[in-house]
Amino acid sequence: MTDKDLHQRAMEELKDAYDFDHRDPLYGLNRDDIRGDTISRRATLRLLAAGGALSMAHVLPGLRPGAAMAAGHSGGALDCAWSGVGEIVTLDPAQINQVLQFQIASNVMSGLMHIDNSLVAQGDLAESWDVSEDGLMYTIKLREGVTFHNGDAFDADDVVFTFNRSSDPEQSIHSRVIGNVAQLEKLSDLEVRFTLKRPQASFLTKALERASGRAMTIVSRGGIEALGLAQYGLTPVGTGPFRVTSHQQGQNLVLEKFADYYDPERPKLDKITITPVDGVEPLAAAMEAGDIQYIGGNPVPAQLVDRFKNNSDLTVDVKPGPGFQSVWMNPWRDYMKVTDFNKPIEELKQEKGFMVRLAIAKALNRDLFIQQGRLGNGVPAHGTINPAMGFYFDETLAETSEQAYDPEGAKALMAAAGYPGGDGFPEIKLQTTPNTKRDGQVVANILKQVLGISVAVDPKDFSVGIEEFQKMDFDLRLGGSGGDYDPDDGLVDWMQTSSKFNGPTRDKEAMPFGFFSEADADAATDEQSVTASPEARRELVQAANAITSNKVACGFLYHPVDILVYSNAVNVPADARIPGLHELDRISLA
Amino acid sequence: MAAYILRRLIGAALVMIAVATLVFFMLRLVPGDPIAAMLAEAGSDEAREALTRKLGFDQPLIVQYFKWFGNMLQGDLGASIYGSNQPVSKIIVEALPRTLSLAFLSFVIALIIAIPAGIIAATRKNSAADTAVSLFAFLGLSMPDFWLAILLIIVFAANLQWLPAIGYEPLSAGLWPWLSHLILPSIAIGTGFSAIIARMIRSAMLEVLNADYMRTAASKGLPTRIILLRHAFPNALIPVITVIGIAFALLISGAVVVENVFAIKGLGRVLIQGIQNRDYPVVQGAVLVVSAFFVLSNLLVDLLYAVIDPRIRYS
Repeated sequence: MTDKDLHQRAMEELKDAYDFDHRDPLYGLNRDDIRGDTISRRATLRLLAAGGALSMAHVLPGLRPGAAMAAGHSGGALDCAWSGVGEIVTLDPAQINQVLQFQIASNVMSGLMHIDNSLVAQGDLAESWDVSEDGLMYTIKLREGVTFHNGDAFDADDVVFTFNRSSDPEQSIHSRVIGNVAQLEKLSDLEVRFTLKRPQASFLTKALERASGRAMTIVSRGGIEALGLAQYGLTPVGTGPFRVTSHQQGQNLVLEKFADYYDPERPKLDKITITPVDGVEPLAAAMEAGDIQYIGGNPVPAQLVDRFKNNSDLTVDVKPGPGFQSVWMNPWRDYMKVTDFNKPIEELKQEKGFMVRLAIAKALNRDLFIQQGRLGNGVPAHGTINPAMGFYFDETLAETSEQAYDPEGAKALMAAAGYPGGDGFPEIKLQTTPNTKRDGQVVANILKQVLGISVAVDPKDFSVGIEEFQKMDFDLRLGGSGGDYDPDDGLVDWMQTSSKFNGPTRDKEAMPFGFFSEADADAATDEQSVTASPEARRELVQAANAITSNKVACGFLYHPVDILVYSNAVNVPADARIPGLHELDRISLA
Repeated sequence: MAAYILRRLIGAALVMIAVATLVFFMLRLVPGDPIAAMLAEAGSDEAREALTRKLGFDQPLIVQYFKWFGNMLQGDLGASIYGSNQPVSKIIVEALPRTLSLAFLSFVIALIIAIPAGIIAATRKNSAADTAVSLFAFLGLSMPDFWLAILLIIVFAANLQWLPAIGYEPLSAGLWPWLSHLILPSIAIGTGFSAIIARMIRSAMLEVLNADYMRTAASKGLPTRIILLRHAFPNALIPVITVIGIAFALLISGAVVVENVFAIKGLGRVLIQGIQNRDYPVVQGAVLVVSAFFVLSNLLVDLLYAVIDPRIRYS
């Protein structure tokens, strides 16, 4: 095939693929299109287009640049570093509290569902599923012939066992994730039915998801009984593509191919050794020396990205990441006090405390911060909804939000609040972790430059910082979320009055709410959670997102980008590239 | 001698109990909520309360202390409250061989450099060799070990690719895999200690070399090598042994920075991560072991005095 023929075929395929309105690709897509045992190519293309992720590579897979590479060898061993961490403290889904842990656990244990590289839920141990008209009942047919690593057969009893275990807060820290499930019934050995208390749009992508969900990541009763809980946390038994054959906590973790995995095409690799590396230079040296060929775990340190990009032996792949980072402002501090966010925005703008909050948010030069703090790696944020969510991301918010960067407006607000040029404004503290101290210093410099206020960076161990944040005992805090695959992750978990992070241990008499509380945002968030129609849900998500942005729930700073670094000797096909996750079973050696 | 050792051991046990008690209560005074650290993003009031009950944090502090102390006397150090709740004894038993391997090899490297350097500097006082040893000592003392560690990684792991940059292999995996993973971290740690010990040997040797019995030995016509190694060096060892004893104990807990750089989970790293996570049982257990090493190495040093200098007798 000549280049000309190739081009013509590609253009024809692309034209055929877009047999829908590109301005609203989801129009006409109904419930039947996204249930069952698979999602049609047409529906998939529409979802990809809606997410802004449709490319020539998807319509013409055989032509995409990585296609030849994706056909790498089966077998072989891969050495990985898990960045920014000293040890993998647990792989038991019931106890996992960090993204870098479920990145590994997701390769060892299966769930009922698993998101794909377009963040669309696909069946994992669920072979097919049906949703009742009222959105309250999910009937799931389970995959047949699946076995655990210890040889036990998987069936509906394991789903019930996992559900019961995860529902019990004594046994699991994720009981809240499935708090909306009224009942789980075993219909047969290979069929279960979840009945929800109220409809939940994110049920498949969040509650039943095997990686970030964790509550319904299927555990082995036999494995837990045989190993005991402590050992199960180190070497869990699952039905996933890899089994853990050795785990020296803090030293290394060895995964080996599970020969009886339900998909005979996966995993490609025979063995993976994961070493936690909590240092920048050792990580770089180990990668450059070839001691490791792939980096997972916490995001690759920003200062290494260009160095790796300049190394012709390495591939650096950058994608929008799931998450957001913000400057949280305590509304109970006198100088930025807001006791009622429900007032109309124009009324709020007359209050001195709100003026200061808005001034700080407007002063955040996000581009400069990303350049200096993240060394160019990030996307300016104005809300919790991140670009990795594609379809739900509101690109106009950067222009329309009250928080849009406006140094003159910010200065005017500070002056109106009684602090012209920062005069008379007290020195305040910006809490960071030791690892984000540098980011904090950049924020402090920006605020000093634009508003003239003094901000002292106050790095604290995570255990201290999180306690003060939850008690609402801080001035400013730098932080956010790293694994938001569904709008619920940002809105429900952070932005509602009842959100789990919203000052849960504060003095509730002195502070009726935590860092933010707004009735319209609460209502829109509640409604989007129960709205099945993607278009209607998007409207509600973006409405809630805009309220939290305009009324300064926090000063949104940036969305991280997902940077994957691997040796050219490794094949990472497109379907293995899910931001924030590592689909090790799809990876092979060149 | 036996009675002396027994008395010292009883004293050591009391010191360890005092340390353990102090650490138990001081840890509770340090800001930071272990439950919040454990739950991180997953926190809910229900889960928080359930965990508090499960870990016994809802009980009075004194009850918690006696419960922990009673278990400790029976050899049970408890379980980590973080992650997969590993038994503390298992965590320590896994980390200890790595720390001991690292400490031992660092120690050997330090002595290999320090003994000849110290002797040469003392016997050739104010010579170019003495100046070179002094310069090395200043360099060794002023170079942060993590900086040297990174330098070694860049040169020997990344550029020359002779040795691995990170990780640890147990001795059971083979002598070379074990050694190859320890050479760079041991040099990084051992260099600083060798500088201290070399300076110590030099000053102790200078003192001994001026003693009357050294002149007697020389006037008897003994060769310089015999004078130095048989008469001068053993007599100079008493202050050196004291420093070496403390240095070895420090290596047990103090190699944390280098352990971190080379991704080796030794006792120091266990301790630091325990503190960061407010993992009380792990910190208490690790401090207990570290204090045991300090007490025992001091005892060993005292006993070595008697071996080196027969005039010293314990009763």
